[in-house]
Formats: sequence, C-alpha cells, structure tokens
Amino acid sequence: MGRILILNGSPRAPKSNSKRYAQLFLDCRRGDYLEITRSNHQQLCAQVGAYSDLVLAFPLYADGLPVTLLHFLKALEAHLPAHKPTVSVLINCGFLEYGQNDIAVEMVALFCRQNGFPFGSVLKIGSGEAILDTPFRFLAAGAVKKFAKSVAAGRYASFHTAMPLPKSLFLKASAAYWTEYGKKNGISEAEMRTMQIESS
Amino acid sequence: MNLILSDRPLALTVQSTSQVRVIDLSALSIHNCVGCFGCWTRTPGRCVIRDDAVTVYPLIAQSQRVLYVSRITYGGYDTVMKTMLERAIPVQQAFIRLVDGETHHLQRNVAPKQAVILGYGAQSPEEEDLFRRMVARNARNMNFTRFQVRFSPEEALEAAVEEEVSKWAVS
Repeated sequence: MGRILILNGSPRAPKSNSKRYAQLFLDCRRGDYLEITRSNHQQLCAQVGAYSDLVLAFPLYADGLPVTLLHFLKALEAHLPAHKPTVSVLINCGFLEYGQNDIAVEMVALFCRQNGFPFGSVLKIGSGEAILDTPFRFLAAGAVKKFAKSVAAGRYASFHTAMPLPKSLFLKASAAYWTEYGKKNGISEAEMRTMQIESS
Repeated sequence: MNLILSDRPLALTVQSTSQVRVIDLSALSIHNCVGCFGCWTRTPGRCVIRDDAVTVYPLIAQSQRVLYVSRITYGGYDTVMKTMLERAIPVQQAFIRLVDGETHHLQRNVAPKQAVILGYGAQSPEEEDLFRRMVARNARNMNFTRFQVRFSPEEALEAAVEEEVSKWAVS
C-alpha cells in the first residue's frame, strides 16, 4: 500500500465542498491533504513525487477545470517529478447530472497522458453543492468510501452519485437552497432573480 | 453588438467600435473567481471583485455575436480565457432551469448569441476533439444559439479572425 496525497483545487478550498469530500475520504483511508494556493505550486510539485497516489478534489467550473487547478497542472507539467503518482479525480458539480463532470475528468486524463502520469479512479458527484447537507449525504459518503478503497488498493475504477430526485423536484429543492443562502445575506429571492447585469 | 475576446494581442485591421468591441484579455488585470457566490447571493448581477473583469462580462452578456480566441490547454481554454469565463458568472442566476432536459443556471439579460471559438496550440486531434466537446457544453451554459469551433496555427490567428469578422459584415 502506498501513500496518498489529496490536493484540493477549489478556488475556495478552505471553505469548499471539495474539502468536505476530501475529509470523507480521509475518514476511511489514511492520506495527506493539502490545498492549492496561488503561491504554493513549487512546493506542491516538489512533494507529489513522494506519493504513490495523487487525488485531485475539485468542483466543475464553467464546464471544465477551475483555473486554480489549471494553473497548478501547468506548473506540475513544468516541474515533473521523477516518480509520477497515479492521478485520481474526485469532482463535484452543483447540477443534478453527474455526467456534466465528464469533460473535466477527460481533461485531467489528457493531462496525464501528455505528461506520463498513470490515471486512476474517478468519482463524479452530481448535486454536489448541497447533497452533504441533505438526507442523501449517505449516498455521497458511500461513494467516497468506495472511491477511497479503490485508490488505496490500487484497483482503479469509476464511480458516481447524485441525489436520487426527479428533475422537477431538484429544481424546487435547489431554489429553496439558494433562496435560503441569499436570505442569510439579507437578499430576497426577488433580488437574486434580478435580470439586471451591471453596466460596463 | 459583436465581441472579439482574445487571450493574446492581435494585429487586426478591424478596430474596436461601439458595434464591434475587441478586447485583449492579456492586457487586463483579472483575478481568479474566488467562488464566493457573491454575484448570486450578495450583490446579484455584480461581481464583488472590482477589477477589469467587471468591464468585460457585461459586454459578453450584450453581444449577439462573440469570437473567442484562446490557447488550448488539456483540451480546454488556457488560463487567460478561462479566468475571464469563470468571472462571468454574474450574468447567471443561482437558480436552476432545464435546458434540453439538463439542469443549468438561469441566465439574466444575456443576449442569445452566435459564437465562433478559435482555438490554437492543441497538441493532437484528440485534444481538439475534447475542446470541441467542451465548447458544446459551454453552448448550454453561455446562451449560444449556434456555435462553431475552429482551429488555427498561432501565426495565422489574425487571418482567421479577419475571415470570421468579414462573415459578420455580410450576414
């Protein structure tokens, strides 16, 4: 059994859902956890070679990799370690369909092929913004457990999960979630639904 | 309005006017989105980071035609274009709708648009294919009614842009 490093590529890593998913991973398998920042690329690049497995945990951003992660991957490409760990992906998106993460997963796989990193397991989470705070948390926790087990055992596989809701119900549930989010900031649902965009 | 958004300087004969805006993102100061959701839940329609991005996303929203020029990295936009597109989420709402049966964010006042995405620097046909499929995903989230993905060597970008702009003049 090797050593596992989880890198959080979320732009809001300290407060991110990716961090919560990473914690679920670490609840069942041992590993180290670090967050990608603007200033620690060199340090991280120097560290990844010491691990057998690298897990990239991040959210889907504008149909692809968040630029926080993209910057890091470019830095890693420029400072390739002598030993290349197997790269696995733990991705979540706020949309119901976990398949909306597919393109971003393929981007990481392409990075691996272009740079000689073995590609490992994948966990795609749909409804990932909210699922951890719903009764369906157990589904996400179960999927992370299977994913973690596969990475730790080196038996790489692909997994996915999402809230098992009809789309019509998901729309209502997500509206309630976001309305409550705005309310905590003193913003009404009508204000959040404004069609106005500031002028340039 | 038509918009040319490039991640590098372009020596074009077309000038930036009120009808055609030409923006070199590499000359602007645009910070990463911090994922705060402020543009959805604190100041809806307005990014809380007050840098040059706030002059660009309103233009994206208003444009009926857009031409994006971007280096391709790992099958997606390279960091300059991707940073801007991530900062453009104030044009959307937090709330979700169905688009072709899939869940996507509601748009605010975003003009339906015809898009040409001009990519350069792909290392393989495989990378070009992934880029095409990514843009197809963008279409659903960025209100593209029609889109075309085109690839060009970096040294031929200006000619490719001029060719696309000439199509705007006759359509």
